[in-house]
Amino acid sequence: MLTRIAGGRVIDPANDRDDVNDIWMRDGRIVEAPLGARADTTYDAANKIVMAGAIDIHSHIAGWNVTTARLLLPEHHWAAASRPATTPLAQAGWSAFHTGRAYAGMGFTTVVEPAVSPHYALHAHLELADTPIIDKAILVVLGNDDYLLSLLRNNESSAAVEDYVAWVLDTSRAFGVKVVNAGGAAAFKENVRAFSFDDVVPHYGVSSRQIVNSLQHAVHDLALPHPLHVHCNNLGLAGNVETALTTIAAADGVPLHLAHLQFYSYGKEGERGFSSAAARLAESVNAAKSVTVDVGQVMFGQTVTISSDVLRQFNARSQARPRKWVILDGDGNGVGVVPYEYRRNDFYNAVQWAAGLELFLLIRDPSRVFFTTDHPNGAPFTCYPEIFALLMSRDLRAEWIAALPPAAMAVTTLASITREYTLPEIATMTRAAPAKLLGLSDRGHLGPGAVADVAVYEDDADRARMFRAAALVFKDGELVVRNGEVTQHRYGRTLTVAPERDRTIDRRMNAYYDERYGLADDFVKVPAHALGRPEPFEFVPCRT
Amino acid sequence: MQEARIAGKSAALDEAIAEAAKLIAASRQTLIAGLGTDVAGAHAAIALAERTGAVIDHMHSEAVLRDLDVARSSGIMLTTPTEAHVRADALLIAGSDLDGALLQHLQGVIRSRERGADKPGERSMFWLCPGRKRATAPMDIAIKRIGSDPRDLPVLLAVLRARIGDRPAGDISVSAQSLDEVADALKKARFGVAIWSAAALDPLAIEMLCGLVSDLNATTRWSTLPLAAQDNAIGVMYACGWMTGLPMRTGFGRGYPRHNPWLFDSTRLVASEETDCLLWISAYRPAVPPWPTPPTTIALTGPDARFSSPPRIHITVGCPGRDHDGVQYSPSTGTLAAVAAARPSEAISVADVITKLAAALPEREIT
Repeated sequence: MLTRIAGGRVIDPANDRDDVNDIWMRDGRIVEAPLGARADTTYDAANKIVMAGAIDIHSHIAGWNVTTARLLLPEHHWAAASRPATTPLAQAGWSAFHTGRAYAGMGFTTVVEPAVSPHYALHAHLELADTPIIDKAILVVLGNDDYLLSLLRNNESSAAVEDYVAWVLDTSRAFGVKVVNAGGAAAFKENVRAFSFDDVVPHYGVSSRQIVNSLQHAVHDLALPHPLHVHCNNLGLAGNVETALTTIAAADGVPLHLAHLQFYSYGKEGERGFSSAAARLAESVNAAKSVTVDVGQVMFGQTVTISSDVLRQFNARSQARPRKWVILDGDGNGVGVVPYEYRRNDFYNAVQWAAGLELFLLIRDPSRVFFTTDHPNGAPFTCYPEIFALLMSRDLRAEWIAALPPAAMAVTTLASITREYTLPEIATMTRAAPAKLLGLSDRGHLGPGAVADVAVYEDDADRARMFRAAALVFKDGELVVRNGEVTQHRYGRTLTVAPERDRTIDRRMNAYYDERYGLADDFVKVPAHALGRPEPFEFVPCRT
Repeated sequence: MQEARIAGKSAALDEAIAEAAKLIAASRQTLIAGLGTDVAGAHAAIALAERTGAVIDHMHSEAVLRDLDVARSSGIMLTTPTEAHVRADALLIAGSDLDGALLQHLQGVIRSRERGADKPGERSMFWLCPGRKRATAPMDIAIKRIGSDPRDLPVLLAVLRARIGDRPAGDISVSAQSLDEVADALKKARFGVAIWSAAALDPLAIEMLCGLVSDLNATTRWSTLPLAAQDNAIGVMYACGWMTGLPMRTGFGRGYPRHNPWLFDSTRLVASEETDCLLWISAYRPAVPPWPTPPTTIALTGPDARFSSPPRIHITVGCPGRDHDGVQYSPSTGTLAAVAAARPSEAISVADVITKLAAALPEREIT
């Protein structure tokens, strides 16, 4: 079956391409234009934009945390009668089924759920198995777990840390590792209420810096496709730009990804002691070439914050809108679910909105800054089209700025920034760069051999409308979306890794679970047959 | 060995399933209740409910929603059984009527602290209003009992919470001095865990207890561990949650999932005759519908179910974790976990019955 997408403007920065041309697909892959061959099916893309399927590296879409948020907020998503009933559970407002469809409709074909505690891995995979169309992956959260902290306390070798990380990745069928407020959740269990990069976890005697550093090197030395994903300490606090700058400096040339940097871009200037320090932070990112970041853009409206930073979420309970919350002291990190409404007329929220855009616009290399709202923490992922439009138009930004509190805009540099993203830069940020960051050589581009995940958009001057509903989306070469609506229901794969490890770790972990909990370690495992879909996993090789 | 019956008479499985499909197709309002099944069974049942406009409820919804209501109207601190096991130096147990299985669970959580604990040491235990049955103490740890009659619990909690916050409190049957001693001890705990069974507690008592725990966190660390209802109620709630965004007691009659704990309460639906067809599921044990006059019933249960009058269709199903592999909520870890069949058998799973049943339905059964 040979398919041709004919005559579109092909924007494929990974292959240095921006021209009007055809894209050919066969058996789920992009192929060279075959000489003299005739396509079985041809889709007309004249005057349209053709890009690889988009990749979201950080979006909380599945697992105990997300479902707890769903159950906490039945009023947030109940009216959903208008959706067409063409696919299973099409009418459910905030379901796994809806997540896959909504992403696909915007031209996204791969999404990473970035915060799964190892013990909840099976739960997350069950939800991902019900998330249609897109491919997906999970990052496991380490860095507050007793086993790792004990290894560090006892000065065990880096090989011991690597074996443990490899064991966790294998049992939880994860793709990579994230650390969330390293040591902060463990310290909170010991009644510590504030925790910074050089603070020490009571009882274990290890600092946040040591935890991040050891995991960063373990991930690097295991040659995992994705570097350590870091959620820094002190999220959301005035003056926390210092924490981010310190963490960036500690990366020390080894790859490190900093998640939702917007939430760490705050200074203490101005009458309220709260200002945007995004410009300073962007300079630091520009200089630190081994560091990548995603933004965690804030948009105004009702949302819910879902974070494994249990200490931060505990402290944020009083700001819950509406006033309810769930705080879990878990086996490692735990989680906090706190609903929140970002308001245009709120000084702090307006500064947050501006700071995110400053990061996008002041970090010069679009291959090191990634597109996220930290869904749903800054805003739901369905807001992405509006953010693309803001990045691509300074006039649109000026219109928004005019409607926001002047006092808030005065403590940011946003109004002075004239940069406008181009379509190739958008394609870099949402396709080429995330594929590279995730170590996925066959995604994020349209060269021969790539997975045939393709998004075709109308070249609409209203960029938000353009990105809200892709004209056509192909997943593995199959047409799945027309005009933003799913036309073909299918399931993608979950990407995972299997790094080498010394198998004696398996016996050690078995003994550890027995000793610590009096339980067999079977409950942490994710057998493929439990997920109810044929071949749910795709193994991605480690870096060579 | 498959066992299926139509109107009390042995029948082939496929025949029973075809008959069940006819009943559901002809029904004006199907109720899927009991719902004691693994995640795969719940998944199939919810998909069937969507397709047929049915209502889904679980036999333990009342208790599960009682705990959930506290979270979704105010807030809740939670911890895991495993974390409570290694960390808790104080336990606050509220209310009586912790039935046998729940007691066993509690015992699993509060095993001896000699192994595994970060800081082995003594554990203090307080039991508010344990009732009169002294024999219920599940472990050989000294328990301080405060109050007795479970009906006094809401007031006792309110007064205790006031004293924890150094606010004045009126006289109750427990002496002010012993109340203050307890309040003081709770504040001195380094990581305390409050435990209850929602089936035995008034909703306002649960909310007061969660508020008390929240207050204790002003100066020290406390959390809670609501004991999980049986029959995989929590696992079913999670599956409902990610499939529909909502917990059980959700109806699909309007074509989209709508959650209403009163409207879609199976007991109410049966009593008011708003349902004309019941799909009753109890795979973990042979529980039967608890209503004197249920509507036309299709029952999927474990073996040896005793019905007062035989259901229209009865199919004996396997038990997850015994007859077949499955995924279910594990009360000892607080997570969904895969369980392998302990004694694999031919007994059909709930998921397989419902999948066959759905395949036997006419294309459009509702207009």
